[in-house]
Amino acid sequence: MSTDAPDCSESLTEAQVRHVAKLARLAPTAEEVARDQVQLAAVLKHVAKLQSVNVSGVEPMAQPFPASNHLAADEPGPCLTPDQALANAPKRLDDFFAVPKVLGEGSA
Amino acid sequence: MPSVSATRTVVSRRLIVGLEIHVELATRSKMFTRAPNLAHPENFDAAPNSVVDPVVLALPGTLPVMNREAVEMSILVGMALHCQIARHSKWDRKNYFYPDLPKGYQISQYDQPLCGEGSHALASGKRIGIIRAHLEEDTGKLGHELPGGLPADGSLVDFNRAGTPLLEIVTAPDFESADEVVAFAEELRDLCRFLGVTEGILQRGHMRFEPNVNLALVLDDGSEVRTPVVEVKNLNSFRAVRGAIEHEAIRQEAEWMQTGRVMGPGAKSTRGWDDVALETVLQREKEDAHDYRYFPDPDLVGVEVDDAWLDRLRARMPSRPDELRARFAGWGLTEKDIRQLLDDPALSRWLREAHGASSGTDGDGYSLTKLLLNNVMKLANGRGCGPVDLGFTAAQAAGVVALRQTDAIGAQSVDALLEAMCGTPETPREVAVRLGVLQVRDDSALDAWVEAAITGNPQAAADVRGGKLAAIGRLVGAVMKESGGRANAKDAQARLLERLKATP
Repeated sequence: MSTDAPDCSESLTEAQVRHVAKLARLAPTAEEVARDQVQLAAVLKHVAKLQSVNVSGVEPMAQPFPASNHLAADEPGPCLTPDQALANAPKRLDDFFAVPKVLGEGSA
Repeated sequence: MPSVSATRTVVSRRLIVGLEIHVELATRSKMFTRAPNLAHPENFDAAPNSVVDPVVLALPGTLPVMNREAVEMSILVGMALHCQIARHSKWDRKNYFYPDLPKGYQISQYDQPLCGEGSHALASGKRIGIIRAHLEEDTGKLGHELPGGLPADGSLVDFNRAGTPLLEIVTAPDFESADEVVAFAEELRDLCRFLGVTEGILQRGHMRFEPNVNLALVLDDGSEVRTPVVEVKNLNSFRAVRGAIEHEAIRQEAEWMQTGRVMGPGAKSTRGWDDVALETVLQREKEDAHDYRYFPDPDLVGVEVDDAWLDRLRARMPSRPDELRARFAGWGLTEKDIRQLLDDPALSRWLREAHGASSGTDGDGYSLTKLLLNNVMKLANGRGCGPVDLGFTAAQAAGVVALRQTDAIGAQSVDALLEAMCGTPETPREVAVRLGVLQVRDDSALDAWVEAAITGNPQAAADVRGGKLAAIGRLVGAVMKESGGRANAKDAQARLLERLKATP
């Protein structure tokens, strides 16, 4: 599956759109895919203007603040109660968030 | 074209293993917020979804703040593994959707980890390369049963573990046997526990191991092929680590014979360990599961480490287990005793304090260890507590060994003395006087006990007189009993022999 940098063409491939949709856990219809092939390409083309900037000799910058080491002391603070934590849960079972069945752990 | 495996036979094989280890750091609060940390003993038994806060749940408007202690613990581990500590590191988002990941991304370190290249020498002397160690946050936990074992309709999420600081250590593929991997895993656990950075309880998932395994097969024409790499996920016991690697060694050779597939792009696969069937099982993964789209986290600034900070951390560094092992061996301890001491950092700390309060010889170290493992632990186990909770210090206990070394108390008085020392500010000598177990080196008192022992045990006395010197033991025992433990056993034996005109 290709995830290469966009080539700034007028349209993404259907496979590229379906890949991005899958990563976002979306299931677009065929019409939506066709529409997004064009619209996403336009977004990428707009952002790709940044590629015309000459950055040779410039250090990469992860974030713009001239700051570092904002460290907090390791002192435990307040928590939510389980009822507060679960107040917005779409579905609750006992004191857990209930979700559709998934198998296995994530990939931490 | 027929595959190579159909025409060639394997003449020898070499196992190649690299290891990834996740260590849950036992800070008091989480990695990027101050909700209590599930991996700290204070919170081990927290009820589901009770150690969470708005940051953990990724509620709108929340922002992460780094935990200084988690950064420092990670640097300590890095130093102990001889890693290059990065002067600058940063945070990245690893993006994927899963119900145990509230933000939709995990904060991790992609290309600028806190700890760079290092190495660890196994007890066998073999050197294992460390590629990197980076800090990240743990995810929540998914369950499929309600408390009490009732199956749930769907999956259940508990976010207590979400946000626990997680140190991921990656080794070079330098292991050539399951034995080496398990030895490393055990030594790393010892090391992390000595550094005080994790409780290291494997059953609680404090350390999770992921070996990457493949084989180099030498064929009968002298050529070498390598089997596809398999990553075995989420092993949380040494037994599982060993089992998974040993099983892969056999399975991969058999698979190569059948398919001829070799390592290369796209050939890597992920397997899990079935603890009941004792075999690895293929885990089906979405083909794009690893498209994490890492990018720098704009909510967090970087970590800059200067010399002054490193110096402060160096000063905080306790002895490494391999240094302790060498010291204990120098005291003449058996392997069994050394293992017991290294298994429990509290015991080694106790011994270090006691030895510091003694005259500091190897003999003191030996005697203190025996006192700790035989007497102090018996007392502590009886009271269901640790040796530091008995109400006397290790330095006070060193005083007991000093009394024994000068024969001021008998071996039989040690337990009673320790028991009486619990919760008292008195010195061991003062307690011994109070208990009346301080040995009496007074001839008239000894004579009286000796006479009483002979009178009370005429047969033993006759035996000794008749030359059966083995019977002296019963008489010495009688003297000790008569004296309430205050007689010196050697003096008593000499006096008895003299009195019975026998010569040993």
